[in-house]
Amino acid sequence: MPRLETRGVREPIPARAGIGLRAVHHDALIAESPPVGWIEAHTENYFHEGGAAVRALERARANYPLSLHGVGLGLGSADGIDREHLSRVKRAIARFEPSLVSEHACWGHAGGEFFNDLLPLPYTEEAVLLLARQVAEAQDFLGTRLLIENVSAYVTFEHSRLHEWEFLAAVAATSGCGLLLDVNNLYVSSHNLGIDAHSFINGIPIGSVGEIHLAGHARNGDVLIDDHGSQVCEEVWRLYGQAVKRFGALPTLVEWDTNVPALATLVAESRRADLILGEARGLAA
Amino acid sequence: MASLREMQNAFAAALRDPSAPCPVRPAGNLSIYRNNTQHSFRTALEGSFPVVRKRVGDDYFRQLCAHYRARYPSRSGDLHWTGRDFPAFLLEHLHGGEYAWLADLARLEWSREQASITRIESALPAEVLAKFTPDQLEHLVFSLQPSLALLASDFPIFTVWLANQLIDAPPVGQSIGAESGMVRLRIDGLEVRKLAPGPFSYLSALRAGAPLGEAISSAGLDQDGLVSALGFVFAEGLVCALKDGRSEKREI
Repeated sequence: MPRLETRGVREPIPARAGIGLRAVHHDALIAESPPVGWIEAHTENYFHEGGAAVRALERARANYPLSLHGVGLGLGSADGIDREHLSRVKRAIARFEPSLVSEHACWGHAGGEFFNDLLPLPYTEEAVLLLARQVAEAQDFLGTRLLIENVSAYVTFEHSRLHEWEFLAAVAATSGCGLLLDVNNLYVSSHNLGIDAHSFINGIPIGSVGEIHLAGHARNGDVLIDDHGSQVCEEVWRLYGQAVKRFGALPTLVEWDTNVPALATLVAESRRADLILGEARGLAA
Repeated sequence: MASLREMQNAFAAALRDPSAPCPVRPAGNLSIYRNNTQHSFRTALEGSFPVVRKRVGDDYFRQLCAHYRARYPSRSGDLHWTGRDFPAFLLEHLHGGEYAWLADLARLEWSREQASITRIESALPAEVLAKFTPDQLEHLVFSLQPSLALLASDFPIFTVWLANQLIDAPPVGQSIGAESGMVRLRIDGLEVRKLAPGPFSYLSALRAGAPLGEAISSAGLDQDGLVSALGFVFAEGLVCALKDGRSEKREI
């Protein structure tokens, strides 16, 4: 496999705003090279040997530091890790040389069936140990530290004994992984399940968070649905400000997956995160 | 207390069957996960089989998705593979009926899907043939582009697929009969092309690793047919490597 001629190879992801790379923006991103700090791609979309998507990522990769964000490993599945899928992640890492690699605190398959969704875990000691063991196994195999993201949730298990933030902190401490704090997911889960978002942020250890996600959500009756289909709402921006105050200026991604707007709209949304990050750096200086 | 595995199995059962018990609150919100998983599965299938969907309509396609998912649930965390067994499912599901041709149409669309993620090798020009002696030519074995798929059907699936690239495509009469053709990835996109029986046989034989002489005779090509068939594979950039089939050593 030819080595990529890139400017951004293995440069650390800067503490700036980045955008999620989506197929509809491939051409525009390459043609316009907008001033975003980095890009994040869904690992599974770039598993293949050839095709338009991998060619686009190779070209975009030459201009931006890259984060690969997996949605399919289901590292909390009691049935174990799908080794074939993990091998494909490893090949994608070798090919695209990301500076960050992340996945989710969730499960996704049982009894041989894959649900292709980020399913919630019960917050128990057993689940901490299983997720931490499988995250550590994946990190060893991939040769890189992972960031693990909190997911949006619509239900909570009756067996949960820990707060979500205690669960995530324990997984990070046990496995050595970092955390990816998705502020929109936190907002959605806190609304749906009565989680105290401020306690959550204050309960995550400083230094464990390596990246932040921002996105929009939808409302369906009393339930918030994490659809990544609109602008980031004001409440999420406020929580983001609180998170940046606690964790410092961190690489921050703006995601948009449904009703995807023009690239310029996404870039404009990322500028707002950059302004908040700039203020945080100013305060720290 | 239930084990993690038991809880996940109960959750999985509740995703398949709304009446199955699951230890979560509020239980009514399980429908969100049920809808999400159905939606991801169906969206992946719609992306892979746009012409099948167009021909049967949204409502029937949804029904097919549900039956297919019950019979062939997703076996991968990568949604790309969702449609892998859809042609086989349609063959079982529609066998012998008036819509049996949809299984072959699905086979064509899945070939497109697979071709779309295949690497493109650099192609050899026809001039390389000059490097071989006339005696060697009939023994030449061709490596063709990895994305090339050759399909034959008792139904006019190529005519149907090509006609349905128009927005308001009229139905294609099945009386056209059997067709064969090829699917491949070019640098500017996917190509779907109908092939006459002679060139199809010749390409299929080359694809199967038969030497050129054998491919020509199995396809029943005469001298003119040979020249045009050879011209076609080179002009289309389908030839990635050549070797004399009598030796293991790759010549070019």
